[in-house]
Formats: sequence, structure tokens, C-alpha cells
Amino acid sequence: MASENEIILLVIVVDVNPIWWGQQAQREPEFTLSKCLDAVMVMGNSHMAMARTNKLAVIASHCQDSHFLFPIKTWNAGDNGDDAPSSGDGKYELLSAANNLIAEEIKTVMSKTEVRGNSTDTLLAGSLAKALCYIHRVSKELEVGQEMKSRILVIKAAEDCALQYMNFMNVIFAAQKQNILIDACVLDSDSGLLQQACDITGGLYLKIPQKLALAQYLLWVFLPDSDQRSQLVLPPPAHVDYRAACFCHRNLIEIGYVCSVCLSIFCNFSPICTTCETAFKIQLPQMVKPKKKKVKQAM
Amino acid sequence: MVNVHKGVLVECDPAMKQFLLYLDETMALGKKFILKDLDDTHLFILVEVVHTLQERVGELMDQNSFPVTQK
Amino acid sequence: MKLRVQLQCKNLHEYLRELSPEILDRLYNHPATCLAVYRELPCLAKNYVMRMLFLDQPLPQAALALWVKKDSQKDHDECVSVLAGLRLWHSQQLQGGLQGYILNPVFKENLRIALLGGGKAWADEGSSLGPDRHARDIKSLDRYAMERWEVILQFMVGSPSSAVSQDLAQLLVQAGLMKSEAGEAPYITSAGFQFLLLDTASQLWYFTLQYLKTAQSRGMDLVEILSFLFQLSFSTLGRDYSVEGMSESLLTFLQHLREFGLVFQRKRKSRRYYPTRLAITLAAGVTTGSSTSSSSSSNLASLPGTGDEGFIVVETNYRIYAYTNSELQIALVALFSEMLYRFPNVVVAQVTRESVQQAIANGITAQQIIHFLRTRAHSVMLKQTPVLPPAITDQIRLWELERDRLQFTEGVLYNQFLSQADFEVLRDRAQCSAETVCYSSIELVVLQGLDCLVWQDVAHRVMVVTPQGHSEVKRFWKRQKSHT
Repeated sequence: MASENEIILLVIVVDVNPIWWGQQAQREPEFTLSKCLDAVMVMGNSHMAMARTNKLAVIASHCQDSHFLFPIKTWNAGDNGDDAPSSGDGKYELLSAANNLIAEEIKTVMSKTEVRGNSTDTLLAGSLAKALCYIHRVSKELEVGQEMKSRILVIKAAEDCALQYMNFMNVIFAAQKQNILIDACVLDSDSGLLQQACDITGGLYLKIPQKLALAQYLLWVFLPDSDQRSQLVLPPPAHVDYRAACFCHRNLIEIGYVCSVCLSIFCNFSPICTTCETAFKIQLPQMVKPKKKKVKQAM
Repeated sequence: MVNVHKGVLVECDPAMKQFLLYLDETMALGKKFILKDLDDTHLFILVEVVHTLQERVGELMDQNSFPVTQK
Repeated sequence: MKLRVQLQCKNLHEYLRELSPEILDRLYNHPATCLAVYRELPCLAKNYVMRMLFLDQPLPQAALALWVKKDSQKDHDECVSVLAGLRLWHSQQLQGGLQGYILNPVFKENLRIALLGGGKAWADEGSSLGPDRHARDIKSLDRYAMERWEVILQFMVGSPSSAVSQDLAQLLVQAGLMKSEAGEAPYITSAGFQFLLLDTASQLWYFTLQYLKTAQSRGMDLVEILSFLFQLSFSTLGRDYSVEGMSESLLTFLQHLREFGLVFQRKRKSRRYYPTRLAITLAAGVTTGSSTSSSSSSNLASLPGTGDEGFIVVETNYRIYAYTNSELQIALVALFSEMLYRFPNVVVAQVTRESVQQAIANGITAQQIIHFLRTRAHSVMLKQTPVLPPAITDQIRLWELERDRLQFTEGVLYNQFLSQADFEVLRDRAQCSAETVCYSSIELVVLQGLDCLVWQDVAHRVMVVTPQGHSEVKRFWKRQKSHT
């Protein structure tokens, strides 16, 4: 049995990209953002119901910022008596308070956004970084003798953004160092970045075949914590797309040039590394491609 | 013919058993109290000596222990 | 000859399993109890329940068995039996003739309500009464709860300044924690000493169990009380609730809870009450409850904010520094140590062989002493692993073992058998496992073993049986002889 002083923190990062969800609502009117959030709340509630010490955080990942839906600064566990009217039904008070808060916050997030021209990608790397910071803060606030296990669940809707490759990889390695699992539940198209994230941190990656059954997939696959995962039969690891993005144009490439000093990746040759400013001496007589810097990025 | 005795079965480590045998032989409790020596770790003894025996063992342990702490 | 009485504290499962099926089924009618029971399930079983919570069809047992990996089969079997034992699911015939499992519909319905809403509210909120002019903040509630609970403990150690109600004193006696001789004030028993050494959460749970045991004899409805208790444990600290709609027996129960410090009510007739931290952490004691028997001393059972924080430092030189000025805590430390110095904010004591043996003679076990030190360890101690110096914990255990060098079992010795066959017949009769079929000229008797064999030595044809079994064995032997 889980001992009383082990805290399990689950941070759910939900992709709320308004453009993708807008298109989705037209494609499939029966699965909208509110349906998705319902599923997230079911997941969150189930997690918090499992043990008194389980903690939850929910972050909305928008195309302009990342926003904490739960908990927010003014919210204080055990002291929500001022204005939060409980739902007046049989739900556990703590859960209904949390759910009300999430619903409230997502409304403000969605209403105050105005999509401006060029930035339409979800800021997933930023949200993950925020999640890591939050986990770090919580772990600092633990009482002596308490231990915490944490994991991040990403619910991913929109396409990957190669522009965030660098930030994303940094976040992944930071998570790996902190022993934080990253799970990914992908609604639409496969995400190479998240596949790598899950593979590196030991999390689960699942592209769900049926969006409508999201809640059931979440409960079935992502609810068990790492202890029980070793006991349960879960979906086999997905094939991982290990392509890296080049530092010059952010294209995903399979073969490229790697700087011998700082290991930056480039899709075409340049005499000076843009990252560490190393100048590469090229033997001019030979007109063949300089072999020195040509390294294959293995699959 | 089958022989029947009422008493108490004692289970202890071999060292302790030797101590009990010694008590028995020297008549330390005023009489013989071992009814039957069963094996290395078992003895069968009289009921009435159990309490005094425990005290004797306690005394032995007291003699063998040294204060682990200094005042 | 067991000389000591061990304080047995059941956890929630063991308690629920002893209830009758009808009571269990009625219990699941409240979302709070469902949630509480759910929380106490083994982790794997929790996931099973979650996976099946939204299924309306029974699930084939074969499919269920595929959920776990092969090497976790044992955990799976345990979960299956726990869930069945608590009547949370039952097997049902599927259409194809296969056996399937389906969650108890009442439990499923109410757990869904607890998680997702619906149904009717658990309790009337204080909001219907309007704001409280005498509202309490969390800090004062904590203080109040701790004061109440300390009074009970003080009463147990017989400090003259504390008085409790007749009901409570009687409950302590019934729980075996205190003894009272006619006309005299009750005094503490060895079980009571062990009780004092438990952490607050476990104390509370033990006490509640005892209360529940006597509840029915007080004419209270067990289901009603349990539901209310669990509901309390899921309520929000610092919030007021209304007594509206509570039955007469529940109101009496509330008054008792008020005396234990589980709820705060300004006046007896007050229409609102505040649950305290004790009530909310009650469920925490549910899991730590079995700590007396198991070695799960890793529980951080001191409740945050209840003034029960760690204050004890143990050094490898057998000295204990207790940073407290509470008479009660000092008295508890003195149960198993020798007091050296006393200062306004700290006492220094020393664990010695004599003091520990004295405690053990009082019925306290080494495990309980260690658990006491562990759960009240100062935060400085908590930073090191293991929290207590192993030299000390080992020595305390060794001192306890010293007393157990001899093991006495009363019995009757049989020896000088004439033949090996005679010996074996009698031994098999006394033994439990062997079911001997005895053919005699008159009757064919299948003998059930008597399970009274204590010890045997086949080579020397000696055996020892319990005094209870002796007469039966003797009778059997007489009959046996007359036949042959």
C-alpha cells in the first residue's frame, strides 16, 4: 500500500489551441474542447480520489501563453469557504471546488484571447517548462520525511511545432534528470517530439483511436502510477520518431551536419558554427564536400 | 506401557538448556525439576517452578549485562 | 503461556469484513463511505474499480486476468479476493456461459456521484444559516481539537485536573484501556499504556472502532454513524455545517464527537458545527491502524498543525531529548526511560536496560517504543535515514528478546510406548493434519485430528499434547487398547 507520506503529483497539460479546436468543432461536432475538459476533470477527480495525499495541477497550453487552471494563486486548499458554492449534489467537496475552478479559469482564458496573425502553434514546450517549475516548487515545499513522485500528462491536439525543438528537448532532459515521467495522450496526428519525450522519461505514449472515448482511455492507461504500471499490461511503446530539428531552419532532418565542438545540427553546411562560433578550416584544393563535418544523424 | 506426565514444555536455545540442566543438578531450586530431557532445545519440567525459573534466568541475564550508557 | 496482552488495532478492511453483508450493502448507499472504502483498497484494486466504473456490462474473468503481467499474478488474486470480500463486485454469468465480474451497482452509482456529482447533497451546509457571527478559524479549531484529545489522554494517565463525562469514562473501560473497581476511579491498564504510545491518528481510529463496537448496544444505527463519520472525514476544514435534518441518535453521536474533539460546536444547542482536523484525518489512522502488529513504522503519522509535531531527539549514546513541556508527553517518555534532567522546554532521559525491561513488564513491546520514538521524532531527526539510530532500535529489540529466551507451553508428556505403531496411532490422533481412517472390527470411523499435538520425537517415541487435548487422547487410547 502506498505509504501515507508519499505524495503523487499529477500535472495535466491540455492543449487548448483555439485554431485546432475551432477546426475540430467543424469536423466532429460531437467532440469539442468542453468534452475534452470534462474528460480531463474525470481524470483529475479520479486521481485525487485515489489517495488523500494525491495532488493535481492542470495547465492550459494556449498559442500565446500557458495558463494554470488549477491550482491558481488565490486558491487555498481547505479554505474555499468564501464564495465557492459547492455544487449542492453528492460530489466530494474538494473535487467540486476544483472542477468549478477549472471551468471558471478556462472560460477566462478562452474569452480573453485574440489570435494575432502568425503565432498559431501551441506553446507546449513553455507549458511543460511551467509544469516542471511547479513540480520543483511543490517538492521544495514538502515537509521533512515526505517524498513526492510526479508525472506530467500531456493531452495533445494540434500539430508539432519544429520551432520549439530546442526548448522541448531541454525540457525533456530536465524532466529525465528529475525523474519525472512525461505521458502523452495524442488526439490527432502523431507527435515526434512527444514520442521522444515519453521514450526518454519512461512515460507512455498513446495516440487514441477514438476521441470520444478519451475519458476511458485516460482512466485505463494513464491513471495508474508508475508502481502499478509495472504490474499492469499496458499499450506497447510506440515506434519513436527520433528525427532532430536543425538549428538553422528548424526542419526535421534525418541526415545533416553536426558541429564537432558543440554538437549543433545543421541541414546545410556553413563555415562558422552559428551556435559556438567555431570556424571550420576547409581544405580548398579538394572540391569534394568537406568530410570533416559530415556526420550522419542516426535513426 | 505408556507413561503420562503433566508439566510444561520448555523451548530454548542450547546454551539456555545447559543453564537449566545446571540449575537442576545443583538443586538450585531446592529440588530436581526436569521431568524429561527431550532434545537440544526442549525440556519437560514441573509446572510449579516456571515462575522461579524465569526469575533465575532474569538474574542470569542481569549478571551478564553491562550498562551500555554512562551517566 | 502468553503473559502480555497485545493491543490489536484493525484497519478499515478488517473491520468492514466482519460486518454482515446487509450492513455492507446499506453502507454503500452513501457516496462518502464509497469514497472512503475505495481509498483503502490496494493500489491495483483501485485501478480495477476505476476501469470498471463506467462499464455497464459484466467483464469476463478471463479478460480481467489479462490486465496484469504474469509475475504480478499474486497481487491480482489478492485484489480479486479483496474486492469480492468487501462485496464491491460479484461474479455473474455472461451470455456465452463465461463467468464475469460486475461492480456492485449501489457502490458504482455512489462512487460515480462522489467523483462526478449528481445525487443529493451530503449534508446541509452552514450557508443556509447565514454567516456565523462566532466563526472559527482553522488555528483555533486545531487548538480546540488537540485540547479535547489531550484531556482524554490526561484522564487516562490519571491526572487530577482532567475530568471526562460518564459516557466517555465508561467507553474507556469497555475498550479495555482502563479498569475500574466498584466505586473507585478507573485506572489505566497495560493496553492503555500501549494505546498512549500510538500516534494520534491510530489512537483515534482505535477509539472509534471501540465506539462503533458499543454503538449498537446504545441503540444507534451503525450504518448511519459510519456514513456520518466518513462524511465528516471528507468535509472541509474551517467550514461550518448545519445540524438540520439529523436524526436524534445522530445528534447524540455529534455530542460524543464534540467531546472527543472531532467537531466543534459552540453550544450544545447550536445549529451549526465545524469538523476539526482530527475528524478529517480520521481516515489517515485507518491505514496506520495496524502499525502495532506490522513494522510499518515509516508512517509520518504526526498530523500537521495539530501541535503534535516531532519533538524527540534520540542520540546513539542512549539519550533522549524531548523538547516539550507537556506533562503528558513527558510521562509517556518516562514510561520506558530514566529521567535525567528537566528544563523549562526540554527533558533529558536515558534509555537503559532496566527502564526498557520495566516497560516490557508493563506490557509495552519494543516495537511500540520504537514506533513512538519514530512518529514523534524531531524534524532534525527526520532528515536522516534511518530516522532513529539503528544501534538504539536494535538494542531495544535485543532487550525485549532477552525475556523470551525460554518459551513455556503447558502440556502432557507421553512416553515409553511399547511399539512404534502405538505411538503413530496416538500421534496421528492428536495431530491436526493427518486424517486417519481407523478400521476396527465394529465401526469405520473417520477421525478428525484433535489439533492438540505440541511436540513429538518419533525416534524416541515421545510426544507432548495440550492439557485440553489430554482427556480426549486418553479416552481414545483406552478405547484403542480395548479393541486390540
